[in-house]
Amino acid sequence: MPPKPLAALVLAAMALGQGACVGIIQHGGELDHYLSNNQTARALELIESRRGQSRNKSIYLLDKAMLLRMQQQLEASNSAFEEAKNVIEKLDAISLREQAAALTVSDSMRSYLPRPFERTLIHCFKAMNYLELRQLDDARVEILQLDELFKQQDDFQLPFARYLSGLVFELNQEPDNALVAYRKAYEAYRDSEREIPRLLQEDLLRLSDYLGLAAEHRQFALEFAVENWPTQQQVRQQARAVAILNNGLIPRKHSHEIMAQSPGDGQLHRISTPFYEQRNTRVYSAAFGSDASVSHAELFADLERHARAALNDEMPGIIARTVARVSIKNKVVDDTREQQPLLGFALNVAAVLSEQADTRAWYTLPQEILVMRLELEPGLHDLQLKLSGSLRPDASHSWQQLELEPGQTIVFSLHWPESYSNLRRRYR
Amino acid sequence: MTRLPAGALALIAALCGTLALSACATRVERIDVDETRDLSGDWNDTDSRLVSEEMVRDALSRPWLDRFISEKGNLPAVIVGEVRNLSHEHINVATFIGDIERELINSGGVQFVASKNERGEIREERKDQELNASAETAKRMGEELGADFMLQGAINSILDTEGKEQVRYYQVDLTLISLTDNRKVWVGQKKIKKFIKKNSFRW
Repeated sequence: MPPKPLAALVLAAMALGQGACVGIIQHGGELDHYLSNNQTARALELIESRRGQSRNKSIYLLDKAMLLRMQQQLEASNSAFEEAKNVIEKLDAISLREQAAALTVSDSMRSYLPRPFERTLIHCFKAMNYLELRQLDDARVEILQLDELFKQQDDFQLPFARYLSGLVFELNQEPDNALVAYRKAYEAYRDSEREIPRLLQEDLLRLSDYLGLAAEHRQFALEFAVENWPTQQQVRQQARAVAILNNGLIPRKHSHEIMAQSPGDGQLHRISTPFYEQRNTRVYSAAFGSDASVSHAELFADLERHARAALNDEMPGIIARTVARVSIKNKVVDDTREQQPLLGFALNVAAVLSEQADTRAWYTLPQEILVMRLELEPGLHDLQLKLSGSLRPDASHSWQQLELEPGQTIVFSLHWPESYSNLRRRYR
Repeated sequence: MTRLPAGALALIAALCGTLALSACATRVERIDVDETRDLSGDWNDTDSRLVSEEMVRDALSRPWLDRFISEKGNLPAVIVGEVRNLSHEHINVATFIGDIERELINSGGVQFVASKNERGEIREERKDQELNASAETAKRMGEELGADFMLQGAINSILDTEGKEQVRYYQVDLTLISLTDNRKVWVGQKKIKKFIKKNSFRW
């Protein structure tokens, strides 16, 4: 429970001159339940049944794209992602009507505009779809768009997105562009005080060596405790398999509620603000292997952290709007009650009921992204991804009889949404 | 009769009115295929058509064509190779290649041979004819027209964005390469620049 926003709300309630009761309202749950049990078809049915409001269209499309991706319908997933991008681009313009509704009714009256980390991930997942479809030029388009997005959001970085950019450039035979992207990934990890993944360290050492950047290579060699890394020549002679595990589900937002009644006139007041639940992944480690070698999973993206940071950034605005909205509603109810008590009461009930925190978000996102990579001899291979910690009996995935050529890199991804929340839920 | 305060009216209007979404029927209007209508600023059918027309016109007006005809005594056979989309947008390269092929064939200045993918199906058909068609009508294997030149290229773009304003610069590079000796006989370049201003407000 984030203490600062709650304290601010309690103070706001006290300022209104009433005693307050504080509670929590849980939202959603059915979608998480289906996903945790790998019932993506039912999850798709659920979001289809809930579509309708145009202000939630971006979320509907993002969820749909993600669920289609989980079902390996990669082309359909990309169509939904592209449609979502078009919707989001239009939402960049400010709607005065929606802003007015947010100030008088509820924050959720606005169209949902995905947060910067969510917008970044649209390009990442779309690029991953293209990599799996082996449409490298299209994956490259997404990476260029991603770069443009980063330019527009200069205070936001997602290091994994930069790493993925490097991978796409490498697959397109552009080692110079790949090194630039890996450098940016390295800087973003360092700036956010995150550990530099070993795979990234190896890539930086390999490409700085291959491109003849001796000083930079020496600096990386001094900084990273990596003695053995494959040279560019070895990479060209061998084949590679990259596995991306989208682990768990991003935490869900719920709402803190403060309900109060004025002792004097009996008027009801409600303040509602969102907060993120605590959520844990079931899978705590993963290993990607062939007969000859095994690669253990490395954490490349902690999306929960980005989600919480985004909400923290928004909280001052949310609280300011909430206080302004409650004041407006109170004033209107007071004025009405003086002249028409019954209508004033009805208006008060409507004002309280409409006061709900905006708990919308892209909930089909994973909690974290893990990456594994195998260096393989060219030829036929059976590969397996084993997951540790899952309660499900099918906690592994295999790719059979893969014919790999020298220099070829093949990318796989798997979603494993199995996770649990610390808040108790009721499912049907 | 007591009048409601203006604030109450506004709140009632906000509570009720904002919940109701305006429903507009979809309107469809047929327009001429040559008519230019830029909606998003993205690469569109007009760009594809204009670039292909201009580049093919340029290619056919250069000396390589007359030189080839005078040396060989026949029209050169051209095949379209890969045109890579290296831009910021998902461009349907197949449509662009289709426009180039159409322009080249309709110009009458060159012969055109089927692409790699198309050839596979034709060869299958020829193989089938050898088994099933009459001897007089069956087309024999090994009599294909070999291409003299291959057309390759790329679509690149540079974006310059500031707030709601953007300049998009597209550069299409096409190269005609001799299959005999890898000589580049023609290099064409077409540039398009667009200024896009997005709305700051919406309903």
